[in-house]
Amino acid sequence: MITSGMIEFAGAPVWINRNTCKACDICVSVCPSGVLGMRYDSTSTLGAMISVDNPDACIGCNDCELNCPDFAIYVASKEDLASVGKKFAKLTDDAKERQEKIVKNNYMSLDLQGVK
Amino acid sequence: MADTREVISSGNHLAALAGADAGCRFMAGYPITPSSEVIEQMSDLLPKRGGSCIQMEDEIAAVAAAIGAGMAGHRTMTATSGPGISLKAENLGLAQMCEVPLVVVNVMRGGPSTGLPTRVSQGDVRQAKNPSHGDYRSITLCAGNLAECYTETVRAFNLADRFMQPVFVLLDETIGHMHGKAIIPTPEAVAAGVVPRKQFTGAPEDYHPYECESDQPAVLNKMFEGYRYHFTGLHHDKNGFPTEEIETCRKLIQRLEDKVMLHTDELELNEEFMLDDMTGEEGEVLIIAYGSVSLSAKEAIRHLRAAGIKAGLFRPLTLWPSPEKSIKKYTDLIKNVLCVELNIRQYTEEVERVSSRLDIEGLFKVNGRPISPYEIVSKVKEVF
Amino acid sequence: MAFNYDQYLRLEKMPTLWCWGCGDGVILKAFIRAIEKMGVKQDDVCVVSGIGCSGRFSSYVDFNTVHTTHGRTVAFATGIKMMHPDKIVVCVAGDGDALAIGGNHTIHGARRNIDMTLIIINNFIYGLTNSQTSPTTPQGMWTVTQKVGNIDPTFDACALGIASGASFVARETMLDPKKLEKIFVKAMEHRGFSFLDILSNCHINLGRKNKMVSAMDNLNWIDSITMPVKKYNELPEEEKLNILPTGILKEDTKVREYCDMYQDIIDAHQGKRSNITQDDFEKKI
Repeated sequence: MITSGMIEFAGAPVWINRNTCKACDICVSVCPSGVLGMRYDSTSTLGAMISVDNPDACIGCNDCELNCPDFAIYVASKEDLASVGKKFAKLTDDAKERQEKIVKNNYMSLDLQGVK
Repeated sequence: MADTREVISSGNHLAALAGADAGCRFMAGYPITPSSEVIEQMSDLLPKRGGSCIQMEDEIAAVAAAIGAGMAGHRTMTATSGPGISLKAENLGLAQMCEVPLVVVNVMRGGPSTGLPTRVSQGDVRQAKNPSHGDYRSITLCAGNLAECYTETVRAFNLADRFMQPVFVLLDETIGHMHGKAIIPTPEAVAAGVVPRKQFTGAPEDYHPYECESDQPAVLNKMFEGYRYHFTGLHHDKNGFPTEEIETCRKLIQRLEDKVMLHTDELELNEEFMLDDMTGEEGEVLIIAYGSVSLSAKEAIRHLRAAGIKAGLFRPLTLWPSPEKSIKKYTDLIKNVLCVELNIRQYTEEVERVSSRLDIEGLFKVNGRPISPYEIVSKVKEVF
Repeated sequence: MAFNYDQYLRLEKMPTLWCWGCGDGVILKAFIRAIEKMGVKQDDVCVVSGIGCSGRFSSYVDFNTVHTTHGRTVAFATGIKMMHPDKIVVCVAGDGDALAIGGNHTIHGARRNIDMTLIIINNFIYGLTNSQTSPTTPQGMWTVTQKVGNIDPTFDACALGIASGASFVARETMLDPKKLEKIFVKAMEHRGFSFLDILSNCHINLGRKNKMVSAMDNLNWIDSITMPVKKYNELPEEEKLNILPTGILKEDTKVREYCDMYQDIIDAHQGKRSNITQDDFEKKI
């Protein structure tokens, strides 16, 4: 049963594979820009799933993909993004602040309580 | 053009020569008395032919390296004695499970443990049937004279490739170190008789190494040639990947059993010495022996016959799986059966099992000395 | 696409059986990127793994793969490499596999300087069998076999590699996957025995009773005990006790590789050169 494999680029700078994410928090912790957060998900094994909450803040650093052990998150190449008329964002102080809040919130998305 | 030649050599040297002539291109070993001469010879024979021979850091590494070369697709061997087989046991099981051809020469010495390093025994026969844990069938050959150190090793390579598993060649210290004349096949005759392992020639995506008939071995292609698959000691599926699926696991283990036991006709090889005039009448004596003991047994039989006792020798060359039907044929026919071995009852118990007789006599010697023809003659006269 | 891993994966085996947040997955991805960077054919790569969580590494990658018995990776790989000196042979083993039961084979593979890369995924514990002490588990930590606290001393794997004669020795962690990819490329391109001590996290088995319950906690601990070797060398001696230097710790491109030396033996037997003598070697002892 093939549950992994490249999900094709569909226009977003960063996207996820729900079949392989094990909700380990690592991608959320390494994102400099507050793009990601964990959400409750009763259908996943650990009860949580990665969510791309702020895709437009993605700066294309690729750290989430490099650090994901499970092939669950993918980042577009600059060329792919350009082909849909988009660009990666620059890293702003607001984004950094948001990331700090997410980390303090136990890596959960900010609109959720930070307990798993 | 003759296809035999006359050589003057020793058992260990002939086993090495057989490997080199039969296409073995890799040997890994470790020094252990009385088998060290095998690797000493191979360290000269193999590089001459462009192959590799390496002395590893221990017995386990030796069999592991040999199996690695076998996994890569080459004819490979190792040589050791009893303590080495004990150490190699786990990896021998891996070779059984992964179905990797390998020839293991065991030059038996006094055991158990350190035992008698420089003296003879046949104490590893029972071990050869089951060196490692789990269910599988051992193929074990035993050379009974100098020439057979060569021919049985050649046969071992062909059987290893045919059945895709380790094959043991048991020598003993007497035969391993025996020096004399032997008539053996020429290298050309051996090369002409080489039957290499089967290879799959279709498209890589259609290749399933462990998908085969229920009584056939795996078809394992050479590495690095476009057919990528997985070896594992875990129970595995048709592509070699680990699985716990009930039917797949059952079928795999049953196939390891059936691939040997449903084809014992290809494995059986016996010598029936002076048995063709046996009719089952009173006074006939059947001697069962193998290895160097059989040389004494044959001499003893000549003495016995000269003294009016009709004796004959049944000698299995393939010890495991045992030649059940042939043994039973003779034990049904002849009342007086004497098993002679340099251990305590190891093959005798198999004879008892196969013949369903508990009145098999035995001459057992475990003091590291060979059994002389005189001892056999005396024993026959004593018990029958 | 940033990077397409699919070509190198056995997709039908995904998702991996490793725990959530396990470093093995990050190391696997870095390895795949390194292979791609080197531009080698998949058919020319053989990955041999041992027993343990890291042992499952070989079943996920689409190369010629072998999953061997516990501790014997380097020995199996030696047989494969000697028959194919021009192929890329990589051993993947855990800290228990390579340093405990397989210690002897690790030492001698390094001693021979045979051209292969040994990736020791060192997570400081026996993970697959659930938290037993390994040769690198720090003293005082909780393990199932020493529940009142581990007394077994640890040793420096890289020091073992250097002393045994490996010609390329490096330590990295999975904290920086880009550095990991670079070190894999260097190690595999190096002609000789490449000994890699890759520190990884096992928050499930090491961490759970040692105050590192989450992957992040375990990663932070690894961060706190490592330091690039240049900075490490400037530390006062007493501070070096609890820091492991990372980076390339030894790189010797002059020492001869085993298969190349064995070719001399073949040549000597085939009359293409004279016998090998002590004069052929700088080292006389």
